[in-house]
Amino acid sequence: MHVELRDITKTFGNLRANDALSLSFAEGRIYALLGENGAGKSTLMKILSGYQPPDSGHILIDGQVVTFETPADALRCGIGMLHQDPLDVPNLTVLDNFMLGRHEGLLPKRKAAREALEAHAARLGFHLDPFRYVDSLTIGERQQLEIVRLLSLGARLLILDEPTTGISAEQKHTLFSSLKRLAAQEGMTIILVSHKLEDVAALCEEVYVLRGGKLVGHRLMPTPIDELVTLMFGQSLPRPSRGAHSLGEEILCVESVSLTARRLTVRDLSLSVRSGEVIGLAGLDGSGQSDFLRACAGLQPINSGQILINGVSIRGKSYAELLRMGVAYAPSGRLEEGLIDGLTLAEHFALARDSGIWIKWREAVALAARQIAHYNIRGAPHSPVQTLSGGNQQRTLIALLPDNLRLLLLEDPTRGLDVESTAWVWQQLLARRDAGAAILFTSPDLDEIVTYSDRVLVFCEGRATLVTDLDNLTRNPAERLGELIGGRSL
Amino acid sequence: MSQPAKFFGTALTFSGALSAALLLIAIIMLSLDKAPIAAGQRFLEGAIGTPSARADVVMAALPMLLCAAGLLLTFTAGLWNIGVEGQVTMGAIFATIIARTIPRDVSDWGVLAALILPAELLLAMFGGALWAGLAALLKIRGGINEIFGGVALNFISVNILLSLVNGPWRVGTFPQTAPFAPAALLPRHPELRLSPLAIVIALTAFVVVFVALRGTRFGLALRAIGRNARSAGILGVRVERNIFWAMVACGALAGLAGAFQALFTRGRLLPNISGGIGFMGVLIVLLVGVRAAWVLPVALFIATVPVGSLKLATSLDSSVQIDAALGNVFQGALVLAVLIGSGIRARLAARRKEQFEHG
Repeated sequence: MHVELRDITKTFGNLRANDALSLSFAEGRIYALLGENGAGKSTLMKILSGYQPPDSGHILIDGQVVTFETPADALRCGIGMLHQDPLDVPNLTVLDNFMLGRHEGLLPKRKAAREALEAHAARLGFHLDPFRYVDSLTIGERQQLEIVRLLSLGARLLILDEPTTGISAEQKHTLFSSLKRLAAQEGMTIILVSHKLEDVAALCEEVYVLRGGKLVGHRLMPTPIDELVTLMFGQSLPRPSRGAHSLGEEILCVESVSLTARRLTVRDLSLSVRSGEVIGLAGLDGSGQSDFLRACAGLQPINSGQILINGVSIRGKSYAELLRMGVAYAPSGRLEEGLIDGLTLAEHFALARDSGIWIKWREAVALAARQIAHYNIRGAPHSPVQTLSGGNQQRTLIALLPDNLRLLLLEDPTRGLDVESTAWVWQQLLARRDAGAAILFTSPDLDEIVTYSDRVLVFCEGRATLVTDLDNLTRNPAERLGELIGGRSL
Repeated sequence: MSQPAKFFGTALTFSGALSAALLLIAIIMLSLDKAPIAAGQRFLEGAIGTPSARADVVMAALPMLLCAAGLLLTFTAGLWNIGVEGQVTMGAIFATIIARTIPRDVSDWGVLAALILPAELLLAMFGGALWAGLAALLKIRGGINEIFGGVALNFISVNILLSLVNGPWRVGTFPQTAPFAPAALLPRHPELRLSPLAIVIALTAFVVVFVALRGTRFGLALRAIGRNARSAGILGVRVERNIFWAMVACGALAGLAGAFQALFTRGRLLPNISGGIGFMGVLIVLLVGVRAAWVLPVALFIATVPVGSLKLATSLDSSVQIDAALGNVFQGALVLAVLIGSGIRARLAARRKEQFEHG
């Protein structure tokens, strides 16, 4: 199946999200659609997968012009899209989700569906238990389910929108090798939508680069990363480096803590963190690193052991009390856990920073305006927070953190951000570190962990191993961490 | 959307819903061989035609206003305080604890006599707050949804009320207390069935709630909790504590409404002392979509229905005489129609927005 996009244009208000884009996708090849946030990648892929119509331009399949009213139309023509947040029904089982969207009349054939599910999963090398509930799966497993579902519904061209966000290195490895097999052996066309250059380099054969709604480059891989970065941003970004900094007194002391994560118990975790230190928490999705962060914030109970902050045990203390002690927690889901849909920026600042019975609206608006300017947020004090883009929501989350923090607990702080926004976020975080705060963060991106951490705590199979000599590792440190995460012994 | 357009839209929704509800009632009346137009005239006359009728409407509106004010707090925090009905009942019971012991002659009590009413009202607020606090603790500590806790506590409060008026507090043949002494009642206007003090208390309570929601940290915290409790917690809001106090404040206001019922409307404690005003409060808050400014007019409007339909029910003219229950049908139909109207409006707004974005 050969798919061609011809002169696709789409505007939102004054914004030309897609400006006369013409791209072509051949059978059996793996493409990357590269660009920073807001470059027009998602808009174009939504048009290709039937979520929205273009203002002008055509989609051609094997030379025939097609029009899609709905995603189901696109799927009937063999185009399926895997969304960044899997579109499944969490409180149904894997099998129920698999059967959704199949047209089999009033009485679905569960047995046949189960066999189809298992056959498709085996073909891809995925392991999916048909009777598990989807809400107990990791993001990576939910993705696998969605891919299996799309393939069983006859997808011949698969679009993956930022598929490596939130999945582990090992799941990424499985995903990429199955995608390569699908393309090589079955002639599927794969389009990877991403701003992660290493993913593009690892998977793709051809790259289309978008910038500001325009197609600015078409390259065959391998192409030097620097050249792609230049295409994406118009200039090459220097890689941030870790400067020397001094460590202060002990801030966080964790003594033989045992805590229950989603599916396993982490035992005998001990750690001492000093002011000015950055600790990366690595591990497969759901290995307990996020739970450990939440436990340090007083948001999740521990089974035994103790956690001391500034020498004080946090047992029985609420997050609000810890916040007053200089501890802040920032979760990865911004609008789910961190910002409040429907409240304006000024209201957020009033809530997070103001105290006392009466709200001083004028001061809250002034503070919001100051922070907007300082953190370069695209929005106004009276903008409802859900109208901001993901990157600006992340900036807001950081701008809301109180001054004089002692301990920052961050869950995947750069989730879904492009290279530039990621660099900006870390610049802010490292400034906090230089002012004497300690930082603990999780990330599924091992390069991010290696780049910014002084020490790394690796979570694997219920144990947490501290890796201290990152700089002295002769081999590629990210690769070494990946082995530890995968459970290979030292 | 601009402010006047928004106001116009709201007014249009309300008048459309009102017409629909009136149409339904007219059809029901025609099927019963009654004269809807004449009944409508009689209804209006009965509800707002005379000063005494207007006073009745105002006094019927006050307990509803108190409940609605309290419910504004809980609904803002996303809490469905269905237990408000039981909180009203407990307020009436707690007010009666003092009221039934007051003798007819308190002329030798001196200063103490001036403390009777404040003591009754405070105790009623305590009773309502206690019941709401229980529902809040069940939710916070026990993880029991406030709707289920509230329904259970409503049931318990009704049975406490029945056991009291059938047992130790019963005076005479009917299950009810004796009429309270004048000193125990809310003071009455010399000519009308109206209590200026009650009006002042209810309006003050409403204004306090209004200001609390607009200008205080508590109000903002409740809004944050109602929209996203997890995020609110991460921003430093003490979610459980605020939920508890919102419930307790609502319970105190509902208890006050119960005291109004016992100490003015009925003048004694009897079964069904609440008369469903807690649920009326829920309907009002649903009707106005938690927009505080609309509560006052809507409460007054809703209060005309029982007053007017009572006049119809007691009418001697058989062409308009109908059961007072039809008033409840009208209220229910109106609420339903407004909710449907708001739903349609929201859909239209979403469609317009979409067209705007694509066009």
